[in-house]
Amino acid sequence: MSVSFAPECTDAKTKYDDCFNKWYTEKFLKGQSLNNECSEFWDTYITCINANLAKKGIKPMLDKAREDQPFTSEEMKESAGTASKEEK
Amino acid sequence: MVLYFESEQEYKYDFQTTSLAYLNRYPNPYAKHVLSSDTLESYIDAEGRLCTTRVVVKTGRLPQFIKPFLGSNLNSWIIEKSIVNPKTKTLYTYSSNIDHRKFIRVEEFLKYTTVNDNTTVKSKVKFSSNFIGFKERIEQWSHNRFSSNMKNSREGLQYVMNKMKERLAFKEKNGLNA
Repeated sequence: MSVSFAPECTDAKTKYDDCFNKWYTEKFLKGQSLNNECSEFWDTYITCINANLAKKGIKPMLDKAREDQPFTSEEMKESAGTASKEEK
Repeated sequence: MVLYFESEQEYKYDFQTTSLAYLNRYPNPYAKHVLSSDTLESYIDAEGRLCTTRVVVKTGRLPQFIKPFLGSNLNSWIIEKSIVNPKTKTLYTYSSNIDHRKFIRVEEFLKYTTVNDNTTVKSKVKFSSNFIGFKERIEQWSHNRFSSNMKNSREGLQYVMNKMKERLAFKEKNGLNA
């Protein structure tokens, strides 16, 4: 499992990821749960991440990028498959 | 100006393995440039799809000709969004650089579709830049880097899937719970 960008959050991340993976394979994919059941691990993890992101200069750009809506884009709708092509 | 690259890849794995491998693909020996990966948001939408936003930090992957504009900080921050639909067995993913977008924006769109335990991944990568004179250089750079990058991400995913399969076989053999 990959580490967190903030070393102090890696421990909380590992606990959350372990819980998430188990929930994902054993429940979510089987249609047995529509709630992510890892909230106790999530709260600790995301609190740590948010505190550390706030210290980074990247935060404003990240917040802006989070508004990207890629799944409604033409690129996502069109079927991929042909060789490279170019547009002006 | 905008450039697109498209490709397609098949994996002989089911949806559980491929989608779980996608979500856990770092670290792997083919992605040593990836420093970290964090989840920022994860929720289930009204259609029952799992929507996730992550931020990934990579090092040293920017084109050399861009570096003079960016100073000494060579880490790039990447936003990654994904949607897993367990009913249709599809996974859509998107990733893009967060910083330096005025110079170049690289966006990758992937679609994973699983039919009969066979997963097809269609990928489309979009390079956009408003920077005059960049077109040729981006073309040059992307031609040089693109195929090796694609190869690495495929092999990385394949590696993670093989590991999962081994782990599962080990657990089954030893009668341990998953």
